[in-house]
Amino acid sequence: MNKRTFFFAVVLILAAFGGIKAAAQNDPQRTFGRANDQLQKGNINQALDLYHQLESQNQVSGALFLNMGLTYLRVDSMGQAKYYFMKAEKFKETRSRAQKGLQYVENKFSHQSAVLPKLPWQQALNWLAGHLGVTILLGIGLLIFNFGIFLYIIPWLSGRSHKLLPPTALTMMVIGVLVVALSFYINYREHRYHKAVMITQQAKVREKPGTSADLVSNAYDGYVFTVDRNKSKKHAGWSYVRMSNGEYGWIQSKEIKIL
Amino acid sequence: MGRIGDIYRYGFLLLFFCIPSLLFGQKKSPSVQATVSNTTLFTGQRLELTITISGDFRNVNRPTLPNFPGFKLLNNTPSISRSISTINGVTKSSYAYNYYLVPTSKGRKRIPPVSIKVDGKVYKTDPINIKVENRSKSSQNQSQNSGSNIYLRLNISKRHPVTGEQLIANVELYFKKGLEVQSYQPVPGWKARGFWKESLNTNQRPSVQSTVINGVRFRKARLMQFALFPTKSGELTISPYQVKVTVQSISQQGSPFNNFFGSPNSSQQTIKLKTNPITITVDSLPKADTSRYIGAVGDFNISRSINTKKAKVGQSIQIKTTIRGSGNIPLIDKPRYKFPSGLEVYQPQENSNINRSNHRISGTKTFTDVLVARSPGTFKIPQKTLSYYNPQKKKMIATTLPAQTVKVTGSPGTAETSKPSSSFSLEPITGLASWVSPHSQLLYRYWWFWAGMFIPLAVLALAYWQRSYRYKMNTDRAFARSQKAVQKARGRLDEALENAENGETKQAYNSLQKAIEGFISDRLGLPEAGLSIEQYVSALEEQKVNAELVKNVRMLLNKCATINYAPDRTAELLKSHVGLGESIINKLRKEL
Repeated sequence: MNKRTFFFAVVLILAAFGGIKAAAQNDPQRTFGRANDQLQKGNINQALDLYHQLESQNQVSGALFLNMGLTYLRVDSMGQAKYYFMKAEKFKETRSRAQKGLQYVENKFSHQSAVLPKLPWQQALNWLAGHLGVTILLGIGLLIFNFGIFLYIIPWLSGRSHKLLPPTALTMMVIGVLVVALSFYINYREHRYHKAVMITQQAKVREKPGTSADLVSNAYDGYVFTVDRNKSKKHAGWSYVRMSNGEYGWIQSKEIKIL
Repeated sequence: MGRIGDIYRYGFLLLFFCIPSLLFGQKKSPSVQATVSNTTLFTGQRLELTITISGDFRNVNRPTLPNFPGFKLLNNTPSISRSISTINGVTKSSYAYNYYLVPTSKGRKRIPPVSIKVDGKVYKTDPINIKVENRSKSSQNQSQNSGSNIYLRLNISKRHPVTGEQLIANVELYFKKGLEVQSYQPVPGWKARGFWKESLNTNQRPSVQSTVINGVRFRKARLMQFALFPTKSGELTISPYQVKVTVQSISQQGSPFNNFFGSPNSSQQTIKLKTNPITITVDSLPKADTSRYIGAVGDFNISRSINTKKAKVGQSIQIKTTIRGSGNIPLIDKPRYKFPSGLEVYQPQENSNINRSNHRISGTKTFTDVLVARSPGTFKIPQKTLSYYNPQKKKMIATTLPAQTVKVTGSPGTAETSKPSSSFSLEPITGLASWVSPHSQLLYRYWWFWAGMFIPLAVLALAYWQRSYRYKMNTDRAFARSQKAVQKARGRLDEALENAENGETKQAYNSLQKAIEGFISDRLGLPEAGLSIEQYVSALEEQKVNAELVKNVRMLLNKCATINYAPDRTAELLKSHVGLGESIINKLRKEL
């Protein structure tokens, strides 16, 4: 294969790859455009169908969630609107608009749940998860751990001893392992506990899964819960939740939407 | 005039006869009452018995005391207190004789009736039952029974309700004369498990009433009031309600009707009081048609209305169901209606207006179904029967809501949606969006995590091995000789070859011998010199080295040892012996 043939082959492969990627990108964009057209025409249900289609294909964007929130707002489905605004809030490009939407929606709810302030430890974990992310935290932990090991073996390899080096290295290794453990804990929490928004008008939170169990509290449209997925797996159709006011109980899964 | 004078005369006579009868006719028999300071005592505790005579009387004799079985009378001569009051010109007296008794043994005792002669008539008091306990037991139950100076009690309006029935729970404070309550604060966290709880409006300054419990006079104040709705049937226990109360003791002269919040002028203390747990039996509701029953228990009035009889396509139509009355309003479920297929159903709205006054939960709950017609036509929302349980009448009450009709006009396709208010300026995003496929992965599934953890550990292990090796080489001579044996033997073999090429046969064989013997002694930790060939061979045999190899070693060493006595060998033969020596060392290296 001469140089020219090789060059053409590379260009062809790149072009093909780019084309596939563009096509993949265009497809959700086209559906999104169609959904927006339907929304402008006032065909709310058709617009929602198309938006949901994108969501089910795991093709998402801040704009999609924001538009879904606005669409649900138009049909007075405040819980659903809140849910999608909360999703849109996670995207940088739509954060400020989503917050505006959330502010508007919160004022529309007939019931407001009491909110128990989070413990400082939980706040710190949330901050780490939100600002750094578990992957970066894990990377930092591994780097510190590796650097600690490197410092520790320097005297072995060089044959020279240094008083401060072993304790410094050990401290770094311990810190590294702790940071790694912390990232795993946050990751575990993220997989086990999920935020959820109540999307129906009213539901009962009960002590046990089952419609005849003791009542813990009434929940209303827009209430935010923390769902324990591990516990909920054992009872189909029911979710074990922690309410914003600190109470725990079971709610029927159809009443809520997990973020 | 004469007739008028007769009237005056008769009137005067009438007054003359009537006044004494008015004066003496209103005279009521006096009341005689015996009270004690405590109905539950511990052994050795002093009991105060007070005989009170109140009302309108003139003469009163000292009470005739009976025997008090189980008690010792401390004073035969009572202390007497006396009060006189004049109300509306009527003078009333009150005499109180105080005696002190001490229980002589524990158990249930009885203060027998005490006789007292008032205005010549003998009156008898009611007997009073007393319980005498050991000191320790008594102190444990101090705050739980009427023997205490102050205690808290939860009063439930009904002990056998049905599921969902409204029960009124009063948290009442009982305290004796001589105590004033400065303030109280409920301890948060009371959970009435198995009940839906709603607090009722109560006065900020509870009014105090006087009451006699087991012959002991107490003052009673209602601190809190709750409406409880059992959410299931069976035996349910209401957990203790706790209140922190700041009390101060006052002098005995204080009126029994002092204000609830007295002035802080003497020693005060804060105590935590709790009610006893109360078990009630909840009966289940009679079986109801689930399509009709809306979970309401109480006395209700149910109605349904429609906001318009005529609507356009796309216009919202609201069906409002109103449930008004007293009962478990917060727990009422939304009625389920079947709507005609041409109507699009949106999220219903729900509003509650709860009234917590009048010692019960009452109010209104409204459910608004929002419908939008997508095509013109006449739509009939069928009649619906809803039912609730009335605990007073002990039966399900059914209410039939009449059908509602709405006429929808206008062409399809003009559907309207409610736009958020003008103050809300967010518009949908219509441009190019950035698409992602979110995925969340567990950290242990990243390959670089395992690499980041195990590579440094492997490096650490390697470095440790290297460090140990170097240490052993420096400190263990035998080990160092063994490790360097191959290198040393190769050097000697090279030397032998060099000597062979230079024609120095004897030196060459000498080097060859040194290479083999040195290798064996280094590997086996034998002395570096002074050993015979047989000693080397037997050392190899001890190590169970291959017999053929041992034979070759013996042969080559013998050759090297006898070369001084042999004629000069050719360089080729010498080289072949060096080659054999190299092969032997390689084989020995594997075996030793």
